[in-house]
Amino acid sequence: MDLDKRMTLKDAVAKFIHDGDTVYYGGFQIMVPMAITHEIIRQKKRNLTTIESSTDVGGLDIMVGAGCVSEIHTAWIMNWYVKAPYAIRRAFNEGKLKRYDISNFGATSAMMAGFLGIPFIPIRGNIGTDMLKYNPMDLKVIEDPFGTGKITVVRAWRADVAIIHAQKADRLGNVVSYGTRGVTDEFGAMGSKRGVIVTAEEIIEPEVTRSDPDRTIVPYYKTLAVVHCPYGAHPSACRGYYGLDIRFSQYQGRYERYADLLPAFLDEWVYGCKDQAAYIEKYKSKFGQEGLDRLKPKLGFKPKMDVDYGYHDPVCWKGVPMYTDDRLKAYEDAIAAKKGGK
Amino acid sequence: MADYKLTELMTIRCAREIADGEVVFVGVGLPIMVAAYAFATHAPNMIMMTEGGAIRATAPPALAITVDDPAAFLGADATFGMLATMAALQRGECDVAFIGGAQIDKFGNINSTGAGDWSKKESFTYFAGSGGANDMATSGKRVLAIMPQDKKKFVEKCEYITTPGFLGGPGEREKLGMIGGGPNCVVSTMGVYLFDDKTKEMYLSEYYPGQSIEKIKANCAWDLKVSPKVKETTIPTAKELTILRALDPTGFYLG
Repeated sequence: MDLDKRMTLKDAVAKFIHDGDTVYYGGFQIMVPMAITHEIIRQKKRNLTTIESSTDVGGLDIMVGAGCVSEIHTAWIMNWYVKAPYAIRRAFNEGKLKRYDISNFGATSAMMAGFLGIPFIPIRGNIGTDMLKYNPMDLKVIEDPFGTGKITVVRAWRADVAIIHAQKADRLGNVVSYGTRGVTDEFGAMGSKRGVIVTAEEIIEPEVTRSDPDRTIVPYYKTLAVVHCPYGAHPSACRGYYGLDIRFSQYQGRYERYADLLPAFLDEWVYGCKDQAAYIEKYKSKFGQEGLDRLKPKLGFKPKMDVDYGYHDPVCWKGVPMYTDDRLKAYEDAIAAKKGGK
Repeated sequence: MADYKLTELMTIRCAREIADGEVVFVGVGLPIMVAAYAFATHAPNMIMMTEGGAIRATAPPALAITVDDPAAFLGADATFGMLATMAALQRGECDVAFIGGAQIDKFGNINSTGAGDWSKKESFTYFAGSGGANDMATSGKRVLAIMPQDKKKFVEKCEYITTPGFLGGPGEREKLGMIGGGPNCVVSTMGVYLFDDKTKEMYLSEYYPGQSIEKIKANCAWDLKVSPKVKETTIPTAKELTILRALDPTGFYLG
């Protein structure tokens, strides 16, 4: 099969994200799908519900500020570099945003339950707190049916569509992520009902992906769209490609802070840029090539382990007689004689 | 006497709570700085775990800015992800759960969700939320917290309990089946606190140089009890400060 799922960011978001969808918002304190965030804002998607565990560069904050999101389920959201979730705070105060709080492992477990295709999963945390009190939609306490006492259970979260950023993907939709993998992306993505939109720094050949499938976090059949998108996580980091842009996150955060200033940021950096390439050009024109250069990571950390995924071809057994010896043969013969005697 | 910043005093004081060889689950913020310092000084055999999912027996090669920072993963022993490190917590393998927060009450319950009454939405000021703090404080064998202190942050009862301390008092954690031992030590911007074995109430154990018991009591909203053995916190040595400052050359954590 060779189904080419590559498309533009614009087409991917237009085709696969609908108003009212529940969206798994990828990344953690790294690999935040910022290019997709911007495109969702540009296309003025509405009434989205988001699920994720933690997110730090203000991507969800500007998506809420732009009016795209009406419900969030989260463990931790803020623009960590200005130490607040300003737009989310305002939207919650104005009654425009429903917010459901849970712990990080609660969120991860909720997505793991979605990944496993089961309705809920027990976890140790959240019990005894106000998260339990104010988020009965996601959290309950039950008696362990096996008799160990009280235990928290979290409802499975399953998104309609997942949005993630990765280092590499192939045209079929195999998604490769490494280095900081395994926060929640594989659960959030695999638990999605319709599938995954991925932006990737590089598009690689399927034969390259298949040469190291241990690194594939989403197999092709779950993927809806593959978008080649360098700097697709900026200002968040992408391991091996660029580091966190602290100064830009702080700059964006100062706009997030004021309701009447945020639209100017969106006009300039989102609506005013037709795609991620235009956004990066805008960045260079405003903060210089040296701004981007500062994000270059130290490289030279290729694995020192030589791995060979060798396999064994069972064709070598063709024509090889059964191994035996006199003891085994005598015993088996005796059993056979007894059976024959009945 | 060496000149030092408050953040430096707090970091160095906090690190003394970590014993060499312990499994320390490190939360976001100053705990990352403390872990780096502990590795570099008295706890080279510490095992560090993060929410991002790194498990490491050595200090990160550069100071991590977040718990998901590539620096926290580079040269780690295993990077299975949050599932693996949080599972270690749930199995009861983490000696120290090391967290921050915005508000703490006399039973060591912590609020990192927001200020005000959540049910009155128009006036609730959201912070970030639990992150992993709740999971860490529920199941870590002992909880070490680093907190800002004033009368609105050291309160009789948290406005929102995000992370369990001793909840309403003795026996409550056990009733809910929590496997962790609860809060053990709180390092604030004014002093150091421990918890009474019987009442589970937080009491003052040390005050920083330049602080007084009266001043600290005035910055605490409940009737704070003071240890009969209360003492002034030992100030950092010049050598300790040199080691610490070298770990944070840009002053991201230390200011």
